[in-house]
Formats: sequence, structure tokens, C-alpha cells
Amino acid sequence: MVGSRAPGFQIMRHIISILLQNEAGALARVANLFSSRGYNIESLNVAPTADATVSRLTLVTTGENPIIEQITKQLSKLVDVVEIADMTSADHIERELALFKLRVVNGDGGKLTSVLEQFDARVLSDTQDQYTVQIVGGSQEIDRFLKRVAGITDIITLVRSGAMAVSRGASVLERG
Amino acid sequence: MDTLTQPKITRSHPLAGAAMTGADMIVQVLADEGVDTIFGYSGGAILPTYDAVFRYNEDHRRNGAEPMPLIVPANEQGAGFMAAGYARASGRVGVVIVTSGPGATNCVTPVRDCMADSIPIVVICGQVSTGAIGSDAFQEAPVTAIMGSVAKHVFLVTDPTRLEATMRTAFDIARTGRPGPVVVDVPKDVQNWKGTFRGESHLPIAGYRQRQVEVESNVLTEARCQQFFSMLAESKRPLIYAGGGVINGNASAALRSLANTYKIPVASTLMGLGGFDTKHPLSLHMLGMHGSASTNYAVDDCDLLIAIGARFDDRVAGAPLKFAPKAKRVVHFDIDPSEIHKVKHADWHHVGLLPNALDALVAYGRRTGFNAAFDDWHTEIEQLKATYGLNYDRASTLIQPQYVMEEMNRITKGEAIITSGVGQHQMWAAQYCDFREPRQWLTSGSMGTMGFGLPAAIGAQFACRNKLVIDVDGDASIRMNLGEMETVTTYGLPIKIMVLNNFGDGMVMQWQRLFFKGRLASSDKSLRKKDFVKAAQADGFAFAKRLEAKADVPRVVEEFLSFKGPAFLEVVIDPEAGVYPMVGPGLSYHEMITGDFIPNRYANLGKPPPPNSSGF
Repeated sequence: MVGSRAPGFQIMRHIISILLQNEAGALARVANLFSSRGYNIESLNVAPTADATVSRLTLVTTGENPIIEQITKQLSKLVDVVEIADMTSADHIERELALFKLRVVNGDGGKLTSVLEQFDARVLSDTQDQYTVQIVGGSQEIDRFLKRVAGITDIITLVRSGAMAVSRGASVLERG
Repeated sequence: MDTLTQPKITRSHPLAGAAMTGADMIVQVLADEGVDTIFGYSGGAILPTYDAVFRYNEDHRRNGAEPMPLIVPANEQGAGFMAAGYARASGRVGVVIVTSGPGATNCVTPVRDCMADSIPIVVICGQVSTGAIGSDAFQEAPVTAIMGSVAKHVFLVTDPTRLEATMRTAFDIARTGRPGPVVVDVPKDVQNWKGTFRGESHLPIAGYRQRQVEVESNVLTEARCQQFFSMLAESKRPLIYAGGGVINGNASAALRSLANTYKIPVASTLMGLGGFDTKHPLSLHMLGMHGSASTNYAVDDCDLLIAIGARFDDRVAGAPLKFAPKAKRVVHFDIDPSEIHKVKHADWHHVGLLPNALDALVAYGRRTGFNAAFDDWHTEIEQLKATYGLNYDRASTLIQPQYVMEEMNRITKGEAIITSGVGQHQMWAAQYCDFREPRQWLTSGSMGTMGFGLPAAIGAQFACRNKLVIDVDGDASIRMNLGEMETVTTYGLPIKIMVLNNFGDGMVMQWQRLFFKGRLASSDKSLRKKDFVKAAQADGFAFAKRLEAKADVPRVVEEFLSFKGPAFLEVVIDPEAGVYPMVGPGLSYHEMITGDFIPNRYANLGKPPPPNSSGF
């Protein structure tokens, strides 16, 4: 437990990008570290990279700066971790993909359509009473979209990818 | 792969190119790593490897002796702690080989214990065949999932061509950086697989090796040395707070040199005892929850705290903000970057190999002619030692455990290897024994695992065949692994087992008296029937005695320690004897209770603190 220190740190949201070797139990060890040390995971995205032996994890967590420092240091002690970067410590681009199933109600006065347009959401499939909608954006933008839509109609299903991020400019997190 | 992360291969292996089974490769790598003792218990899924060990020993006898004897405990937990005792006493990697399922899960406690105290061991577990994994097969357990949470690392070998490299890499990981336990889970079909032995491969583990190189190549620059000495020059009352990292990092000589050169007093943690000779005039022995009052007061008074291989554990710094409250600066040396600022903010820190860093400081100081005298501070510390040193009820007619420890220490002169269980006896041994060298005090510090002492003593005796090894144990702790009594006599180990019997879980009773109005929930064992002496006799101990009269203590302890062979001594001690001083959980040293026999500098705080059971 990260304990007593001078107060005054703010709880901040951090996007942590991790390159992880594809080994038995590697993902579980990352997840276990968070649960056994009492850290939060808000979202976790895992997918292959160009190198077949390595996966990229993008993890969103919140905490005061000393906690985030501990998280990155503890993650760095995992043998399977190849590289780690706190994306939020520098200029970066963040994107998340969300898929919504929305109930379509006749006579909403075009309110839904206008929100979809405003957020650049695409209708992937529509039936008489449902839309399947895709939206890509920052996680907070998707939160705002969610709030707006929820005020107009029912959200039947919501599937989010969790945030992904790349640094803006030349620096890369790649296997060295 | 660049050359930086690729371990150097200096010569080709004489068996390179030979056809071998996976099991034979495991054993060959153990031999190449210099393993001279294995601890383990067999079972179905590890049989091929047990057979390979047997054949290796038959084929490589030296003067009739097995080069790699396999020591069999009563329970796999015993094997784990034997390997831990071996590793702690020798500094080499301890090796355990067990079967799948229960064999592996019985090792979870020693693996976590080794992780918590940074002890290098390699545990090889049999696993059900690759095709049966996940089918709830007989003696199957999810070892990677279980051990992944408690070990430094765990490998599941599914590709047999990587077995050999995995085995070598397990040893690399166990002993490098902050040492720790590594588990290798080997399915039975991988052990039976036949392939070509390469004799040189390692896994890349690029990230780990890169970080390792960064830490190991992090030298103290001239400018950083200069910063350190400017802090030391400003200080009037510097204090070194030395932890287990001094021992694990082989930094004892460097620490002695630093402390001696600049006359800086050294307080040790429980894990650090022996890292600095406790008989040295600059030694303050132990600090912390049950440290000497004089030492804790010195921590309260110091103006520069120099933490070396120590981590501000809650048993040392229960209230981190109030720990070393007068220290204008906190300096922290460690090999693990995550320990810096984890509990206590460090004003200046260095992450790297301790001997290099401490040697660099001494060299810089010599070169620049640094000179500081801390005479007033030494006078103050001498006064603290004279006034607030350890003490106990010397007039009592009952045997006081501290008296027994003093008598034992008088004979061993601080040169024996002492192991312990966990509880009051552990603290009395830590407080009253001297440890002149590192690796003499083997105790479960962080995990606090009862039952550690006896199997750890067995492992230590295998590592140090000619040394006096004493297990100072408690009646409750020794019960946890009592089956290993028989292991001592089976292998004819001249271990001395001393049980301080207070008929219960003494430390639990002490807390219950302090924090739970004396309700001894489940901790009083005075109605238990065990006759420890008969039990020892049944296990073949030729020396098995009970010591009940105070007057007999010096004579019987002497007979016990000088007995040539396994010896067991039960000492019936004052069941109400407490461990003092005591800093309550979550409290500062200012609130330390010193008991009835040690004066308290803050007299108004001599009474127990209010119940605080949430502070563990």
C-alpha cells in the first residue's frame, strides 16, 4: 500500500502503454499486479503488434502521482514487460472505439440523427426499431455522446474498446 | 538481439550436440549452475526428472558421494524452506523439485516468503502433460496463475526446445537485481521429450535484461558523491539504516568501510542483522517495532538518515511521516527503483549495486580529504545505550527467554547460524544474539511464516556443513513443520533445535493482552498434550532434554550446544514474558512501550497504547 506522504496530490487519469512478451500467464501477471496492490484498471486493451512475440496493452488507470509512479515501477519489474510508457506524461493522441445498439423511437424529432451527426457516429446497421452505431473518439468524447444519447433513447448494448494512444510526433514505444 | 542483452558464452559445452531427454537437460543445467543440493518430494508428474537426478548421481559419484543429493522433506513446504535456508546461508540459488498439483501448491508459502525477503530460489514443478492441461487432470493445478502472483517470475514450458534456455534463464532471474524465487512448470511430456542439448542458450527476456543493465551500470558520479558529502558535512547526527539488501547485495564489507571511515553509527533491520557486525562499536543492533529503545531513540534524534538496502517496512516505519522526524534529509540506496519514495520520500537516492556505490563514496571521500567528527553524537548514543538498552526481569524465579538467549550467545560468540520461527522467540533471538557476519541470521522477516525455522536450519546446514546451526523456535511455530524433525536425524545433521515453550502463540497472546483486554482467543496451548522431548526421541534424537530450572540454564545450554549430533532442547519459559520494547502498529517511536524493565525517555507514554487492531 502506498501510504503516508504529504497530501496535495490530485487523482489523475493516466493511459499506460505496455509492450508485453507473449508468454503463458503474462497478461494475468499484469492484471494480478493491479489487484494485489490495490490499483484501479478503468480499461484494458490488448492486441498483437507487428512483432508476433509481443503484444501491446493499453491500460487506463487513475491515481495520485505517487501511485502512478509505483504502478509504472512495479510494472517495470515484471519480467515479461518489454517497454512501458505513461502516454499522458507527454503530448499524445487518444482514441477509443465504441459500438452502440440504440432503440429507435418514432417521433424523436430527428434529435438522435442530429446527435449522431454531431459526433460523427456511423450507423452500421439499422432495423425497424434499432440502430447499431459506431463512434470513434477520445474516451471523454464517447462519455459525452453516451450522455446525450441516453437523454434521447434507450441504449440496449454498449461495447467499448478501451482507450488506445500513441504519442504525437516522432517518439515511439517499440521493441528496442 | 544486440550484444548488450545477450549473455556472453565463453566456451562451448562438452555435451553440446548430445541427444538428451528434457529431464536430463534439466539436471544438466542444474549441474552447470553448480547446484550441490536439491530439496524436493517426488510424485507422478515429476518422475522423469527424479529418475534423471538419480542417474546423474549414480554416474557422477565423487569418492562415493552423490554430487547433487536430493534431500527429501516430510512436506513440500519443508523443501521450499530448506532451499530458502540454503540460499540465505550461502548466497547461492536454492533448488526445489516437486511434483504437480499439491506438490506445487505446498510450495506457494515458501515461494511467497522468498519473494517477500528477496531470496533466490528456483522451484521446478512437474505438470500434467501438455495435452491434459486445463482438463482438471489428476494432480493438476494452475501453477502459472497461482505462482504468477507470488513469485518473481514463473515459466510454463510448453515448447520443449526452449526448456534448456528456460532453466538457465530461471537462474539468471532468481539471482540478478533484487533476488527472488522463480518457478519453472514443466509438463511431463516435456520432461520425456528427446532433443539436442545446446549447452549455451538463454531466453532473451529483453526488457528485464535491459533494465538490469541500466541498474547495474548506474554508477555514482563525482557530482553525486559531492552531493552526498555536502549533506554529510551539514549533518551533526548521521545514522545508517541498513536492511537485508546489504546482505543480499554482498555489500557488508563496503558498508563496514563506509561506517568506519566516517564513524557513522549503523542500525540494522531484522533482515539486515549481520550485514554489519553487531559487536562493532558503531553498531546500534536492531531498530523497529521490537528494536532496542536506545536505537529507536537514536533514529528519533538523527538529522541525516542514510537508508541502505532497506525499505521502510511497516515494522520499522509504522508511521512513515513520523519516522526519523528530525532528519533534515533522507538518503536512500537500493537496487529496486520501486522502493524509492514507495513509503518515505527520499531527498536524495541512488539505484544501483550497493557495493559499487558505497565503495565510490569511500573513495571520493578519501580523495577529497573529507573529514567530519561526530563526537557529540557518539557521546549521545553511548548515553542512550547505557540508559535505554535491552533489559528484562532478571530477578524472576522463572526462566526468562532473554536469559536463555544471553547464555546461548555467550557460548556461540555471535558466530553461529541461527534460524527462527515467527513470534516472540524470533524477536528475543534477534534482540539478544550477536551476528558478526552476514548470512548468520535466517528468519522469515516480511511474510512472518511460522514453521520456517526448522526446515531453514536443515537447508543452512547443507549449505554450511561445518558450521553450528541453531534453530531457535517456539512451541507453536515448530508444530507447523514438526515432520521435519525426522528429516534432521535421517540425514544425521548436527542441528541444535531449541524450543522456547510458553505454551501458546506468545506474540499473539502479547497483542491480545495489549489490545484485546487479555482475551486469549485460540492462542493458549497449555492444554495441548504434546511431549516435545518424547517426540524428539521418537524421531531419533539422542539428545532430547527439557530445561525447567533457572539454575540449570548455563550448564544445559552448554551441553546442548556442544553435543556432537542432532540435539533437541525444550526450555520451559515464563509464559508471561513479553517482547519489549514494542512500538505499536501504526505508531511512532515516540509512542514506544518499553515495559517494566527498560526506562522510557517519554515517561508519560510508558503505558500501552489504545486498542488499534486495524493497524495490524
